[in-house]
Amino acid sequence: MTDEPFELPAELAIDTDVARRVIAEFIRSQLRQAGFEHTVVGLSGGIDSALVAYLVAEAIGPERLHAVLMPYKASSPASRADAETVVAALGCSSELVEITAMVDGYFGSDGTPGAAGREAGPASDLRRGNFAARMRMAVLYDRSVVRAGLVVGTGNKTETLIGYTTLFGDSACAFNPIGDLYKSQVRQLAVAMGVPDAIVRKAPTADLWPGQTDEMEGGFTYPILDRLLFWRIDKRQSDDEMVALGFDPAMVERVDRMVAGAEFKRQVPPIAKLGPRTAGVDYLYPRRRPGSARV
Amino acid sequence: MLQRVTSLRIALAQIAPRLGALEANLERHRALLDEARERGADLVVFPELGLTGYQLQDLAAEVAMRLDDPRLADLAASTRGLSAVISFVEESADHRLFIAAGLFEDGQLRHVHRKLFLPTYGLFDERRFFAQGDSLRAVPSRLGPGIGIGICEDFWHLSLPQLLALDGAQILINVSSSPGRDLAATNEVGLGTATSWRTLMRTYAQLTTSFVVFCNRVGVDESISFWGGSEVIAPSGQALFSAPFYDEGMYVVEIALQDVRRERIGLPLLRDERLELQVRELTRIIAERAGMATDSNADADAEAGFDLAPLRGPVRVPDLGEGPR
Repeated sequence: MTDEPFELPAELAIDTDVARRVIAEFIRSQLRQAGFEHTVVGLSGGIDSALVAYLVAEAIGPERLHAVLMPYKASSPASRADAETVVAALGCSSELVEITAMVDGYFGSDGTPGAAGREAGPASDLRRGNFAARMRMAVLYDRSVVRAGLVVGTGNKTETLIGYTTLFGDSACAFNPIGDLYKSQVRQLAVAMGVPDAIVRKAPTADLWPGQTDEMEGGFTYPILDRLLFWRIDKRQSDDEMVALGFDPAMVERVDRMVAGAEFKRQVPPIAKLGPRTAGVDYLYPRRRPGSARV
Repeated sequence: MLQRVTSLRIALAQIAPRLGALEANLERHRALLDEARERGADLVVFPELGLTGYQLQDLAAEVAMRLDDPRLADLAASTRGLSAVISFVEESADHRLFIAAGLFEDGQLRHVHRKLFLPTYGLFDERRFFAQGDSLRAVPSRLGPGIGIGICEDFWHLSLPQLLALDGAQILINVSSSPGRDLAATNEVGLGTATSWRTLMRTYAQLTTSFVVFCNRVGVDESISFWGGSEVIAPSGQALFSAPFYDEGMYVVEIALQDVRRERIGLPLLRDERLELQVRELTRIIAERAGMATDSNADADAEAGFDLAPLRGPVRVPDLGEGPR
């Protein structure tokens, strides 16, 4: 046993100074080009959103960061405590918006039907989890109007590739500074930035029910999954090459399927091509161009 | 032979252009030209598409300028007493759009280089929006030595720096909008793109025994961040100056022009170049690719212009297994 807070596969190690520099300028540019000064970040207590809060605070100062804590009644109190630690460490503003009434108001609770009606229930964990993620998105976008701030995305590359995200839920954002970092790289950068050790060390969880962890649910460990995705996608390794690298062919096949199956979550929905110029097809402008900024 | 000791002061304008904001970028260029003049620069080099920003897509047509555009004439007027390389979207009379870099000297637009190699792979999509240039010229300059200009991807093709040097350039200038990527810690400077560029520029300087001036932009367009790291490399391949990564700034570097002569006398690579050999072999390869000559590397019964022959007759399909081959 070593005392390293996490396992960092050698091939995934990044130069964290360069990453901080690039990401800070990226955040400043996104805001400047959009005509915003403030940001809104949903803090779960996990490492991804904690890292994003640290990156935003470093880029533009904590006074321009507003953290929103959005626990559900089943969320772990420890998660909320960790989120509060981040708020205190950064000195940013924060608020608490419990989403229990929103989720239960739809699905119902304690035998009382919600807006979805009696025939909607009992809802699976998947439905409840997705709905909670979309309620958080709705809260963040509402707070973004109140705070005149852009919603900063907190999804990492690993979960985006395998589709461990909720479409129009946690994946919704104005821009994402960590979406090209694997979970292992998120951890490396988090350590470099001084994200509290307890947050770096704890098992990642969607926090939908007590004791849930990403790695138990997916049947993988992040270092192995990250390495697999890196070699398969970034380094374009064939089946045979993956075996030569020591990966289990069955796991490679399973991950391939997850990645392909999540393609729809990573792309803008297709529009039926009818007119002469169609957004995203043959009407192609940068998101941020003269006239696009809020005035 | 008595040789004059001549120094040249080169200003690298490592800026972050504003995407699509032509007027603001023109203003910035004029201000930096004035500043460079005050700092005693002879030559000012701005990055690729410094007047427009890089990730233009359909904006390209909206920021394009013809060579007779009054805004270019106005910009040229700002180069009195200076030489400057400035890059913009050029629209020809027949309405093709080019990524162009102009050599402005003492109030005049003296020469325009149109980007020859338009990357359309990976994160690049240039052929969709731009036409490729068709000619390459080293040009004489008021600075003394001949100047050769390439734009970004142009210098990822071996022939280009060589052609410029053979055509009389002693200062090779590359203006770039190079997006930084591959942040692996194993890279010399923490950035794969930078490692590649730094290797290439040193190699070109040494192989062409010329100065290489590299001006790369900084800032962010959409998802991509440009890494800067502009450089001036001596004809020996040694870096004389390396600008910081990601910082905006104008960096003035002094070079000694006689270094070219010293290097070329001591290492006469250009003297020994075999142009007729290259032309002969290239002519042969072109003819073979066009199916007008026999390709000794092709299958014996391959159709003219092809390197593989289809399988003939009844064949048993071998079991090649799954996956890409």
